[in-house]
Amino acid sequence: MNIKFDLNKATLVLTAALLSINMSAKAGVVYDYIKANNELMIATDANWAPFSYIDDDGEMQGFDVEVGREIAKRMGVEARFITPDWDVITAGNWNMRWDVSVGSMTPTASRSEVLNFPATYYYTPAAFAVHTDSPVTTLAGLNGKNICTTAASTWEMYLQGNLDMLNAPAFTYDVTPGTITSLKDGSMCADDTRLGAGVRNDGFIDSVPMIQGAIEAGYPIRFLGDPAFHEPLSLATDLGNDDPELDAELARIIAEMQKDYTLSLLSIQHFKNADGSSEDYTIAY
Amino acid sequence: MFVDTVIEDKALHKPVFLIGLSLTVLAIFFALNFTNTIFGEFLRPVIGAPTESGFFGRFAVSLVLTIIFVGNLFAISFFKLKVQVAIVWVELFLLFLAFAYSFDLKMSFIQSRIPLMISRGLFTTIYISAISILIATVIAIIGAIAKLSNNGFAYAISSFYTSLFRGLPLLLQLFLIYKGLPQLGFMVDAVPAAITALSLCYGAYMTEIFRAGIQSIPKGQWEASRALGFKFSLIMRKIILPQAIPIIVPPTGNQFIAMLKDSSLASVLGVWELMYLARTLGQRDFRHMEMLLTAAMIYWVLTIVLEIIQARIEEKYKQKS
Repeated sequence: MNIKFDLNKATLVLTAALLSINMSAKAGVVYDYIKANNELMIATDANWAPFSYIDDDGEMQGFDVEVGREIAKRMGVEARFITPDWDVITAGNWNMRWDVSVGSMTPTASRSEVLNFPATYYYTPAAFAVHTDSPVTTLAGLNGKNICTTAASTWEMYLQGNLDMLNAPAFTYDVTPGTITSLKDGSMCADDTRLGAGVRNDGFIDSVPMIQGAIEAGYPIRFLGDPAFHEPLSLATDLGNDDPELDAELARIIAEMQKDYTLSLLSIQHFKNADGSSEDYTIAY
Repeated sequence: MFVDTVIEDKALHKPVFLIGLSLTVLAIFFALNFTNTIFGEFLRPVIGAPTESGFFGRFAVSLVLTIIFVGNLFAISFFKLKVQVAIVWVELFLLFLAFAYSFDLKMSFIQSRIPLMISRGLFTTIYISAISILIATVIAIIGAIAKLSNNGFAYAISSFYTSLFRGLPLLLQLFLIYKGLPQLGFMVDAVPAAITALSLCYGAYMTEIFRAGIQSIPKGQWEASRALGFKFSLIMRKIILPQAIPIIVPPTGNQFIAMLKDSSLASVLGVWELMYLARTLGQRDFRHMEMLLTAAMIYWVLTIVLEIIQARIEEKYKQKS
């Protein structure tokens, strides 16, 4: 019995030692792993057309997906997409399940406690939308109402009044909702809003391209007022990995894609306005 | 059907019951108020515009629905049992179709995505469930034997295991395994995490099923085997389990059917199984109901197939015993 116990202790100490070695020797290890495996594992939520979604053939498509493919291509490796839920990505501690998030994530102070933001690659406006029959006509009209949004999103932080974006243009809190309904993703909010004004919510907040897509799909909703705020959207890597080599490489590739207009072209391809004109969201505000 | 020799008269053919039923149904329809639905539209010639028909409209709609409902029941009551079952199934299925139809579904959209849902989604769902049920069965056999043994350690471990894993929601177990294990240095991907969680959770439930099945074999069987000088493992293999398995099979089949649907929880980890694709494929075109209903039908058909297989297996063991 005693011997067994000691053995257990020994393995425990050994594991702890190995873990600490792992931690300290991590610099550059992810990038080396990507190169050695010839595969960049990219996390992106697949519930976000036109940013990322699954097409008829079961392939990932969308702006984020194409940006991800391009990054992998310029890195000289294959791209593989993993589609965990949004809050699983933002929670950090990826444990090398995937290497980078190309998922339109806004850098915030709270997220930067667990994630690195190596490169901002575009900017989108966030706006409120209401049912077409809604009596509300101004943003102030939504004060005290029930607003729907995505859990663990910058829009939710905005509604809560604690949006701590990094390097973002100044904004004001124009809406103080009475109730915040946080759902899994924006399209669930849109589905609730289409039922009628005040049925399940009085309106929702999401990115302009997403709301645009819902309107084009025939949802009885309309934009309310001007965009509430503009958010920079960035790649993200796991802070725990502490791999400056990977971050530098990602930053270099994004800078290159901005320079040769690849990003602008992709944006124009994927983001359309109500009148059918294209939108280049890659220019900073 | 109950194996009873006394068959009472049909309740529906007693006037008191019929009137009571009609009044109850009328009250329910009236309370639910179907005036502003498609039924109100049908009665437009009688009650005028449904929204403005008021009390009269509401009552008229309820009355018509009651007559249809009770009349239908009354008519069906004259048929033979098998015909009754068939008619009711068809009617309920038509109601379900009407429910689906009311969403203004785009069939071409469904058709274009069905191949993917089956080749990718259904396949993943089935293989996750099948591997999990196999592992769960092994866990259950070991767990049940441990739980029945006189060994304190074995009993303590297995009872702690069943208590813990039956005591936590499956989704919570999934997150504990997916997020917790990597922090201990064991990297698990989404699919292995899902299989582990499903196996452990259902293994716990099935441990109890197996234990109950083994315990239901009378003490005399053990005593007789011991008297013949058999050893434990031989008694287990040749005497007890062959008798316990017919008792164990039906609830195990139930567990498998339940697991097939609980495997949908793997969708939160981003596994492309049926539920995940149902939620995701409709996103770009904002056609969520199409995909959800398609997945619903696939799950349902799959369950019916499994129910048939389960019935066959039960039949086989019934003949044997």
